[in-house]
Amino acid sequence: MLATVIQLIINGLLLGGIYALISIGLTLIFGVLEIINFAHGEFLMLGMYASYWLFQLFGVDPYLSLLMVIPTFFLVGLAVQRIIIQPIINAPPLNQIFATVGLSLVLQNVALFFWKADYRTVRTAYSTLCLKTGGLMISLPRLVAFVLAIAMISALLMFLKRTYTGKAIRALAQEKRAAMLMGINVYRMYQIAFGIGIACVGAAGAILIPIYYAFPTVGALFVLIAFVVVILGGYNSLVGALIGGLIIGLVEAFSGFFLSPHLKEAVYFVIFILILLFRPTGLFGRG
Amino acid sequence: MKMSFISRKTAHGLFLPKIYFPLVLLLFLLVLPILPRNPFYEDLIIMIFFWGTLAASWNLVGGFAGQISLGHTAFFGIGAYTSTLLWLKFGLSPWLGMFAGAGLAVLVAVAIGYPCFRLKSHFFALATIAFAEVVRLVASYWRGLTQGGVGLLISFKPGIENFIFRGKIPYAYIALGLMLLIILVSYSIRNSRFGFYLISLREDQDAAESLGVKTSRCKLIALMISVLFTAIGGTFYAQYLLFIDPDSVFSLSFSIELPLLAIIGGLGTVIGPIVGAFILTPLDVLLRGWLGGISAGLNFIVYGTVLVVAVIYFPRGIVGWLSTWYEPFLRRLPGANLAVALEGTVSPAFSSDTSEPKDSDPGDEETKSPLFKAQSLTKHFGGLAAVKDVSFQIKKGEILGLIGPNGAGKTTIFNLITGFLSPDSGRIEFKGEEITGLKPPHKVCMKYIGRTFQLVKPFNNMTALENVMVGAFSRVKKAKEAREEATKMLDFIGLLGHRDSLASSLTLADRKRLELGKALSTRPELLLLDEVVAGLNPREIEEIIRIIKAISNQGITLFIIEHVMKAIMTLSHRIIVLHHGEKIAESSPTEISRDRRVIDAYLGEEYLA
Repeated sequence: MLATVIQLIINGLLLGGIYALISIGLTLIFGVLEIINFAHGEFLMLGMYASYWLFQLFGVDPYLSLLMVIPTFFLVGLAVQRIIIQPIINAPPLNQIFATVGLSLVLQNVALFFWKADYRTVRTAYSTLCLKTGGLMISLPRLVAFVLAIAMISALLMFLKRTYTGKAIRALAQEKRAAMLMGINVYRMYQIAFGIGIACVGAAGAILIPIYYAFPTVGALFVLIAFVVVILGGYNSLVGALIGGLIIGLVEAFSGFFLSPHLKEAVYFVIFILILLFRPTGLFGRG
Repeated sequence: MKMSFISRKTAHGLFLPKIYFPLVLLLFLLVLPILPRNPFYEDLIIMIFFWGTLAASWNLVGGFAGQISLGHTAFFGIGAYTSTLLWLKFGLSPWLGMFAGAGLAVLVAVAIGYPCFRLKSHFFALATIAFAEVVRLVASYWRGLTQGGVGLLISFKPGIENFIFRGKIPYAYIALGLMLLIILVSYSIRNSRFGFYLISLREDQDAAESLGVKTSRCKLIALMISVLFTAIGGTFYAQYLLFIDPDSVFSLSFSIELPLLAIIGGLGTVIGPIVGAFILTPLDVLLRGWLGGISAGLNFIVYGTVLVVAVIYFPRGIVGWLSTWYEPFLRRLPGANLAVALEGTVSPAFSSDTSEPKDSDPGDEETKSPLFKAQSLTKHFGGLAAVKDVSFQIKKGEILGLIGPNGAGKTTIFNLITGFLSPDSGRIEFKGEEITGLKPPHKVCMKYIGRTFQLVKPFNNMTALENVMVGAFSRVKKAKEAREEATKMLDFIGLLGHRDSLASSLTLADRKRLELGKALSTRPELLLLDEVVAGLNPREIEEIIRIIKAISNQGITLFIIEHVMKAIMTLSHRIIVLHHGEKIAESSPTEISRDRRVIDAYLGEEYLA
């Protein structure tokens, strides 16, 4: 029993690392632009396909593909921000919501159009490798995914703490007017924040492809988890998103084992609604 | 001979373009299902009516009330599954099952809407997505009941009582009936008190509350009506296709399609969603025909692109754009000059002598018990005492001024009185009745206490008249009466010339007047004015002061926050001064201006000179 519990904790945490990486981009975008990116999952899907095709066509290892995916998705994020988000930045919520909802509809169906509804994954030499110690099994690609996710999140947090751009973005998230008065170029920071958010989720897609299937609607699956994580962690706290991701990973592992794998989604949506209702600032959010 | 016929009231109406043009459209709709003798077009027409009905029902809560639900598919699916299961398991006629499904969906909607309406827009949308996802999961995994992903098949047994028909035409008329019903419902709502309330709370919830709008209840009722029709649509869908499964009736894309149609057609308008369905449904069918052969999904690419472009560049939709053409178009139809002639005879709804004061009694009768009493009011924000042990009284007919430096707690006191905040301790009495901590704000309004907001809160997408009507509705039920009252009020505050201008197009001075008019139209006995002249030029200030005096002359008691000394000193009978949340002085304007503490804390040495 104890071994099972430890195994579940490991599985949950490994999964949670990726959830955290997906969610941290969503949190950053919401914290700075005050817009929920309903197309976030579709960028994850695109990240998975990008890595998949790099592997299929050019034999690029999925982890190596990060070097291409991250900068490309950052630029894509800048462009999307400029074309779609910027015009509605001060619009009523309805316009904001449906601008990204519409984008998600387009991206999902572009994928369906080009790549059909087939489930695709990458089979690498290490895809099925497992570390076995003391009755515990740790899937190697999951471990790598976890380590990479945590490394990227740490790098992002460092960037936001140490650099001028990072500090400016955080200042903006706290108090927009004051940040503007301090001479921060708000529009530029909006773009960069959005770009970083998209780069994070694109990277998450790339490290997910060795352990999960890519298909056009895969984003919807993960973005709902990301929404739960963001609400749980406090929608403006990046550290909250990290811890929230780990918690949801654990919840998924345990409810999948003790209840039913089918009900794990129901469990975290119930958590989601409860958090929204009783602690809308999340576990780590400021009020 | 002819003229005498026309002058009869019912008959002449038919010759007016604004009457007969919609009737021609209605006739067109009625014959539409039997025009084509071709299953493809019959199906298209059914789908137009079907989507029009659903989009219009979404529009009640999403467009009118501005509560963006992305979970309507759950209610649609509940309707479809309930009637189908009752039919399959118990042989209950789907006509009855339809109401059972609608009832269940409405119950679920209340259970989910009641707590979720507290959430801000983006989070409300998120919560509804999550909720719909939970319902889909339940439908997929509760195999014993729903057969999960296999779906439910209804065997083809034609019969009126079975809600199954051999041809498509009966379905077309049922769908048309539903669509006409929802148009009628939307139209009645839009022109009723309830409709004004929905739109006002969409535009500004706090302002709506302050005018006596029960915002939570209104949102919930709008959701219930919306869900009722959505669930009925679900039953119709099941009976038309005779097959349902979780993927078809519980899908996020269904939830998105309804607002899409409403937005393209014209959000928050009566016929916008219908227009959206008439344009996008054929487009969808054509796209599926042309492009679907090439690949699935292409139609959604077009849809999504249209949605993004629409919300960025054409947020008013087709109806918003058409509405500027509609009136001129009607004027060019035969019979239009008749309308002009008839409308000329209508007597004006207002007379110009409305500003005469009522029997007023501004003299201070100290024998009377005070109208309003506040005792030891205290309010903390975290560790900060925003208001500390403040007591004061207001006599009937008096004008009491409230001054103090920024952050002294003035607006907090207003919020404590009007139910936007609850005091930590202390007691508030109005007309001898305790109203301490009375919440939410609409209850305070109904006790005849009105207020304005420091940062004006106009309902931007309503006209000046409609803005004031929202307030008037707190005391009258009928739109006609509210319109009359509001027209008089606009005359009183000098905005009659801007009667039909959108509030967003008014100047700051006019928006401040509008703020006064809205609050006054709730017929307050005590009116709280929060900096109504701030930011205005001297001439505009004079005007507002004149209006405030006229208000006072009507016997309305006033409690005024103001930084403009000229205004507060000329208007007030008495003034209280707040500093760091504490009352530091209370007396007549002349004495206040000489009070040492007040000069140090607020007025400054220059004021003496």
